[in-house]
Amino acid sequence: MSAIIRPRELVSLLLGLTLIAVMVATGDSRASAAPTDEVGAFSKTKTVTREFVDGDQTELVDSRDVTVNVDHTLNLRGRERVKIDWSGARPSAGRAANPAGEKGMSQEYPVVILQCRGQDDQSLPEAQRLSPKTCWTSTVQQRSQSAVQRNAVWRHDAYASETDREQVSGVDPTAGCDVDPEFWTHATPFVAASGKTFAACSGSTMPPEAAVGASFPPAEVASFTNADGKGEANFEVRSATENESLGCSSSTPCSIVVIPIMGLSCADTPAADPCEATGSFRTGSNNFANEGVDAAVSPLYWWSESNWRNRITVPLTFGLPPDACDVLDSRAPTAFYGSELMSQAALQWSPAYCLRKDRFKFQLNRLGDDPAFALVENGQATAAFVSGTREKETTEKFGYAPTAVTGFAISYIVDEPDNAGERQELRLTPRLVAKLLTQSYLGSDLGRGHPGMAANPLSINNDPDFRALNPGLDTGSREAGAALLSLSESSDVISSLTDYIAHDKEAMAFVNGAADPWGMVVNPSYRKIKLPTAEFPLLDSYVPTTNDECRQQNPGPYFSQLAAPVTTFRKVAEAVLDGWPNVQTRCERSSPSDPYKTGRVDRQGVGSRFMLGVVSLGDAARFGLRTAALQTASSVSPNAAFDSPEGRTFVAPTDASLSAAASMAKQQGTSKAFDLSQARLAKKASAYPGTMVVYTAAKTRGLDRAEAKKVASFIRISTSEGQVQGSGNGKLPAGYVPIRKSGPTAALYAQAQKVAKLVEAQKEPAAKPTKAAPTKAAPAAAAPAGSADVPPAAAAPAPAAATPTAAVTTDVVATASNTSGPAQSLLPVLVALLLLAGLGGPGTRLVAEWRRRR
Amino acid sequence: MTAVLGGRRRFSRPARMWPLVTSAPPTAAPVSETVSIVSTSLTVLAVVVAWFLAQLMLLGGIEQGRAQDRLYDQFREQLAAATAPVGGIIAPGAPVAVMSIPSLGWEQVVTEGTSAGTLLNGPGHRRDTVLPGQAGVSLVYGRSSTFGRPFAPILSSGAGAKMTVVTGQGTATYTLGSVRRAGDPMPPAPSGTASRITLVTSDGSSALSPGDVVYIDATSTGDTFVAPPGRLNAIAPSETAMAADRSVMPALALSLGALALVTVGVLVARRRFGMARTWLVGAPIVVALAWMSADLTTYLLPNLL
Repeated sequence: MSAIIRPRELVSLLLGLTLIAVMVATGDSRASAAPTDEVGAFSKTKTVTREFVDGDQTELVDSRDVTVNVDHTLNLRGRERVKIDWSGARPSAGRAANPAGEKGMSQEYPVVILQCRGQDDQSLPEAQRLSPKTCWTSTVQQRSQSAVQRNAVWRHDAYASETDREQVSGVDPTAGCDVDPEFWTHATPFVAASGKTFAACSGSTMPPEAAVGASFPPAEVASFTNADGKGEANFEVRSATENESLGCSSSTPCSIVVIPIMGLSCADTPAADPCEATGSFRTGSNNFANEGVDAAVSPLYWWSESNWRNRITVPLTFGLPPDACDVLDSRAPTAFYGSELMSQAALQWSPAYCLRKDRFKFQLNRLGDDPAFALVENGQATAAFVSGTREKETTEKFGYAPTAVTGFAISYIVDEPDNAGERQELRLTPRLVAKLLTQSYLGSDLGRGHPGMAANPLSINNDPDFRALNPGLDTGSREAGAALLSLSESSDVISSLTDYIAHDKEAMAFVNGAADPWGMVVNPSYRKIKLPTAEFPLLDSYVPTTNDECRQQNPGPYFSQLAAPVTTFRKVAEAVLDGWPNVQTRCERSSPSDPYKTGRVDRQGVGSRFMLGVVSLGDAARFGLRTAALQTASSVSPNAAFDSPEGRTFVAPTDASLSAAASMAKQQGTSKAFDLSQARLAKKASAYPGTMVVYTAAKTRGLDRAEAKKVASFIRISTSEGQVQGSGNGKLPAGYVPIRKSGPTAALYAQAQKVAKLVEAQKEPAAKPTKAAPTKAAPAAAAPAGSADVPPAAAAPAPAAATPTAAVTTDVVATASNTSGPAQSLLPVLVALLLLAGLGGPGTRLVAEWRRRR
Repeated sequence: MTAVLGGRRRFSRPARMWPLVTSAPPTAAPVSETVSIVSTSLTVLAVVVAWFLAQLMLLGGIEQGRAQDRLYDQFREQLAAATAPVGGIIAPGAPVAVMSIPSLGWEQVVTEGTSAGTLLNGPGHRRDTVLPGQAGVSLVYGRSSTFGRPFAPILSSGAGAKMTVVTGQGTATYTLGSVRRAGDPMPPAPSGTASRITLVTSDGSSALSPGDVVYIDATSTGDTFVAPPGRLNAIAPSETAMAADRSVMPALALSLGALALVTVGVLVARRRFGMARTWLVGAPIVVALAWMSADLTTYLLPNLL
């Protein structure tokens, strides 16, 4: 075998080398040196100060050179998170557990980050400039303050105008605001994108998106600066889709405003005035109890001129909204069905098609890999996005064109104990993933009654297996820590994830019933579950017996309520983004006379968040989710107890680890996907196990000519300009590794081009007669084939559809060959067996007797 | 029955009246044990194969003829009572149409379903197509080599013949085309109210290799009927052409187990009661079980054979 292959490999190697030589000689190396598109990284340094003015004298209290960096600012989409870090700021004090929204106000010297409509450019007309009035806050307390005269620190603001220092300022007398004459009041109205002004002096005069219990948690933060003057925040931007009043879109530019709070600059203050306060908390301390802070150095007065002038403005641009193609292009879309892994790429790609009249209107319809392929197979869709070779039910020929290298990740939001921020790195082994998926953690004491696993930990952070790899986390058990939020539908991602478990000895020993070194056993409902599987089932039906009235009224399978899988990865991503587990064990009733009902638990409080979910790499990059490093290799003996990650290799999803995995993909011909199974990935310790290749699968015969051309052009465009990294239309977003003509993805690129050619040609070199479906438009017309494979189910009485002229003129429709080997050989074999046995029986006896006689 | 063969009388008699038959009839010359085992096994194998072949070729024909009679009666009754199925989901094995070709003296009741077991009784209608007689393409599967060989006459001399199809909706007439094999051009789709029945079977023209699927297209020559909605849109893999039905395995195992038990019983009984009496009682049981086992084994063979 190898002797046959070797010369071939030699020839292809020589050909490859020649090709490279030719390419170098002609200087055609555009594809390999693809320029990366500008994503708009931002960096700016500004000197921020606090001054006390006394008569003519100005005392410089504090001055800092703050540098702000933002990783990307161009073509942002709704809920995308940008990473902001800064250095040189004044260290903060009185750290709040939750820096977002109103809860972040009780801190001292934080860095306030807001999203504001408009640009910070004095040359622009007033309506396009940003001001505190166009900056979004989700509560009225963040914009408007009322205090007794002594505590109204803003009246001494050295930089504020006279009108802003009056007893009542910023309040529109016609807006119906109640102003208490005893107090000093300042309001910062909000001007919506529509031009409407919200007085913002009470909860009812705020924009609708700031209502109590709004769909999205507050995004604006008052972030903490460490003792070294550095800090960072993942800031979530909102587009007009999420926040219409703020109204940021591709046509309305917006900005992020970073205000390092230095404290108010005061003028004309009496002695020991609160305006001159410098903080009551020690640097780096916590303020769990939400105690009062010195107002002058709190983020509450971010709008005051002396804070506002210290701002650093980061200009943003927004991408087209997701429905741009529907609005801007009236043509009928050509839908590609399939993998959700493509959704972020499709979001950026589709405008590059629909906005050009010479291209078709591309649309991604998310669907499970299997049903998507079935749609293409029976002619109801043009092409499918799948991540592996599918079982065909017909004799149709398919081409698989690699379109994107991406994959899945296990994203997490885990807070460090003692208010130390978010966990930066999490390590998971296949056994831990198996424990979560098989619902082997008890969740709470309710789960302890489950037969066969009463001694298991309540949640993963109690598990010594997890703690050995991720030391230093708290041990408080929580229901969300017993679940890995995953997909309820069938998907190639789940196949790959479960295949990852199936290729690990420790994990499989656990799944098959062996206890782990600390005595934890698999949930008996999942013992010996067959892996890999494309759809992870909910098998546990344990209903706890309890005295809890709610549970008695709503008995339900407790472990399924913990797992509560959802239908799309996007939902998982948003749940992790919000720190809002999908655990369905909340019990409530609106009044003591109403019956209880169960539902989703509350969002987790910042500071004690703990949640894991399976997400696509595209979503993880878009939403700035943290992703766990997965074990790829282990040199320690399996099933031995351990107390450190030593001897195990963990790989996080990065461009390098994805490329390393992509280079392992083994070509299997144009009619098959590459072999990138976990068995192959396991051979390379630096390869990220969650790597997956998404293919455009389309028929190479029997597809309508016009459709075939569209698919071919899509494959070519998506593997050329669609592989240039960037945030613009048609570019490849983060979370995907570009497929290039050279490098680790060269084989993928080559196959894509080959398949594009095959799909465009719509004929197979093989001479075997097979039936061909005439057109996509008339799937029923394919039926007259009479071939047993595609039944003429709906055998259309509709005359027009049933007379496909295309079938008569373009394709010679031949009867398919269907031969059965067993049928062919059955009768001859039976007759031969009869003769052999019938003659052999008496024959042996005769021969034996004849021999004996001699 | 039990009164005659009951155990009471047997045990009330002295044992010596029914002496144990201790020795087998003397053979001409004793041979070595190995030879004996090989020879006997081969003979047993030959008997089993011969029985199976007989079942496929001869006994199966009798069985199929009987099933057709029964189905014909059942369908006649349903037609008279106007309860014959015309659409929707029909239970597998129920009669749905009678196809007859007067010039060949050929008549078969078509049943619903195309799994190997259903086709033992006669031609079967593929469940995800319209019924025969209805507008569109209807697929009817049938055997051509075994179990009555219902499609063999059409294969050899069916071209051009007129076929009448009686269903719960009425009578439709068709003309048979010639046999279509792999690579032959396919006829265009029937348009409007036209109907086509494609008869699907294995190529029995060469008796020794009936492995290729062949098609005979019957095109409607008169009025056809409207197909009501609600047909299945997917069928089990065991109902496609040349598929085997492996769901029969448990039944087959039970049947073979019973056969083995009875065989042991016969051997024991023979020592006690002698050859003649044992076979008088044992033969019908053995034959019935062997018949059943052979039938069930046929389920595992391609369904169009």
